[in-house]
Amino acid sequence: MFPWSPEFKWDAYHVAFFGALYSVLATVAGTLAFAAWRAWRDARAGRAAAIAWHGDFEEMPRSARPCRHQLTGEAPERTCENGFDCRHCSAHGHFLALRQAAGAVEPAGHFGFDLPLDRLYHRGHTWVRPEPDGTLTVGLDDMARRLVGRPERVELPAPGDRLLVNGPAGRLRTRGREVRVLSPVDGKLLGVSGAGAAFTLRVDPGATADLRHLLSGDEVRAWGLRELERLQRALGSSALGTALADGGELVEDLGSVLPGDRYDAVLGDMLLEP
Amino acid sequence: MDERLLPRGRRRAPFGRFLLWLLPWTALLAVGLYAAYLCLALGLNQTNMDNRFAFGLWIYLDLTVIALGAGAFFTGFLLYVMKKRALSAVVNSAVVIGFICYSGAVSILAIDVGQPLRAWFTFWHPNVHSMLTEVTFCLTCYLTVLAIEYLPLVLRNRQLKRRPSMLLFEFELHKVMAVFALVGTFLSFFHQGSLGGLYGVLQGRPFAYRESLAAWPSTFFLFILSAAAVGPSFVLATTWIVQKVSGRTLVKQEVFDLLARVSGSLLLVYVLAKSVDTLVWINHTSFALGVHPASYYAFAPFGTWALFAEIVLLGLVPALLLALPRTRRNPRVLVPAAFLACAGVATNRFVMTVQTLALPTLAFDRFLSYAPSWQETASFLAVVAYGVILYSISFRYLNLFPQERELAAAPEA
Repeated sequence: MFPWSPEFKWDAYHVAFFGALYSVLATVAGTLAFAAWRAWRDARAGRAAAIAWHGDFEEMPRSARPCRHQLTGEAPERTCENGFDCRHCSAHGHFLALRQAAGAVEPAGHFGFDLPLDRLYHRGHTWVRPEPDGTLTVGLDDMARRLVGRPERVELPAPGDRLLVNGPAGRLRTRGREVRVLSPVDGKLLGVSGAGAAFTLRVDPGATADLRHLLSGDEVRAWGLRELERLQRALGSSALGTALADGGELVEDLGSVLPGDRYDAVLGDMLLEP
Repeated sequence: MDERLLPRGRRRAPFGRFLLWLLPWTALLAVGLYAAYLCLALGLNQTNMDNRFAFGLWIYLDLTVIALGAGAFFTGFLLYVMKKRALSAVVNSAVVIGFICYSGAVSILAIDVGQPLRAWFTFWHPNVHSMLTEVTFCLTCYLTVLAIEYLPLVLRNRQLKRRPSMLLFEFELHKVMAVFALVGTFLSFFHQGSLGGLYGVLQGRPFAYRESLAAWPSTFFLFILSAAAVGPSFVLATTWIVQKVSGRTLVKQEVFDLLARVSGSLLLVYVLAKSVDTLVWINHTSFALGVHPASYYAFAPFGTWALFAEIVLLGLVPALLLALPRTRRNPRVLVPAAFLACAGVATNRFVMTVQTLALPTLAFDRFLSYAPSWQETASFLAVVAYGVILYSISFRYLNLFPQERELAAAPEA
């Protein structure tokens, strides 16, 4: 007996009442089931890492998401909307052409931490160095190394695992705080070497390595300066006094001079895990 | 101790101090649960309600929290349907408050029906002509929707979101949230309206009875309008309280401004509609039922001051203060105005529930007074304690205010 009520009658009141009720129930249950089905489909398609990054990126304040062309002046005020993945940005080519027309700026400088220009940088403070054999070496940059200090635990993917740009490339536990490291490249992990924060990953990018999203040359200087500003803002006025503003050296183990909750926030801010 | 569960970058009190904060509320909850047990085990003779005063403190406060909880559906409606993006700063908190209000109201109703084990009767043998049946169905459906809306907040917890299954479900759930916001709006319109209609159809009680507009008494529409109007004010007021208690700045001033503007504008429309309704009731409806309207106000303490307080002092005044840009931008005016608006809807629900039942309707009737028993009071205070506890836990471990972190960094930038 529709709709399973002993008193149901086929009159306008009952039809309208039960029609509305079952429509609502069907809509709620159907939408819930639809979301569950899509989640299951995402899991099967291996989209968890991309979705995790999407969520993290959405949570980051605008000040943490400047477009690389804002840093170098081609697009003032422009904020990245592509998860720092310029490979899928329609405007990247246009701005790159503008920069080339203006001529390259001489890269130089030491910002209180090292950013050697023989490699490429990811916004999550990892570097990538293409090797002569076509593989890529990936590691934490100097700022990240000083941020994490001497981690108690370093969880890295196992050789053979697949890395994805902006997917997880490791998880560090330092002074009781955890932070994940973003992978700067796509590829298969060949091996891990080094210890603690000085680990490096050897990655096989496959046939061709698309590294357009990584920072290089004069961009690195502009980015390094912006990251220093961000770090100073994240640290606040109480922790390190005026050392950074004065152009001093970033301390070796930042966690040793920060209160726990502040350190946790700084780790998340700088390594892009809000 | 619980640092790994705390959202990153949000400063929270030490765990021990947090437990101390919860302690008195837990004690209050325990006393209330005992009172609820007495009501369930020994019966409704534990209350001071009787056949005449069948609605008491519980129903009055249920109606009030349901009206105030309308902030959840209305904020969701403004954000997801009307695309008022600024409200994303408070929608999480509004959902938690809505969930607390509705789950608290349903819990109290479970005690109030006297035979909670037979609560399923209303679903299996519904009286489709009854406003109460509509309320029951809409309340349970909407509580389910609120639980679904609450779920993504929980799944975004720092530790839970590290599990891919939780993360993916939260992500996909978030994408269909507009559907739940729309369903919530539909359900809220009907149960808020039906709660008002419940009184408006009482022809035997001329104080509450109202003439019909398109099959529904005018109170149906007034309840919807008043709930939608004060919902944003309640979100504003609770956000301000949380800011004061936690010592953090949680949202930007422009969010308060938007909430106040929406609340003030709707409240003005409500006050206008309520005034017209009252004039029609005084000049026509009441006389048509053979009662002089002055007689409603002949019994202390319900003088005409109650009518003045409800419509002018707690209606028109906060409406103007919230609607006018100059006054709402003054924090010393904004927050008291929001509290006045909330007090206005509480007064309206009190008048409709308690004054309606207190007034005599037949020649041999007399004016009755009612005071709740300690069991009724304690049961309801348990709901307040439950709300504080759940909100405190949510505030500590979930990202209720997405702007909090940015605002905490701002003064030092």
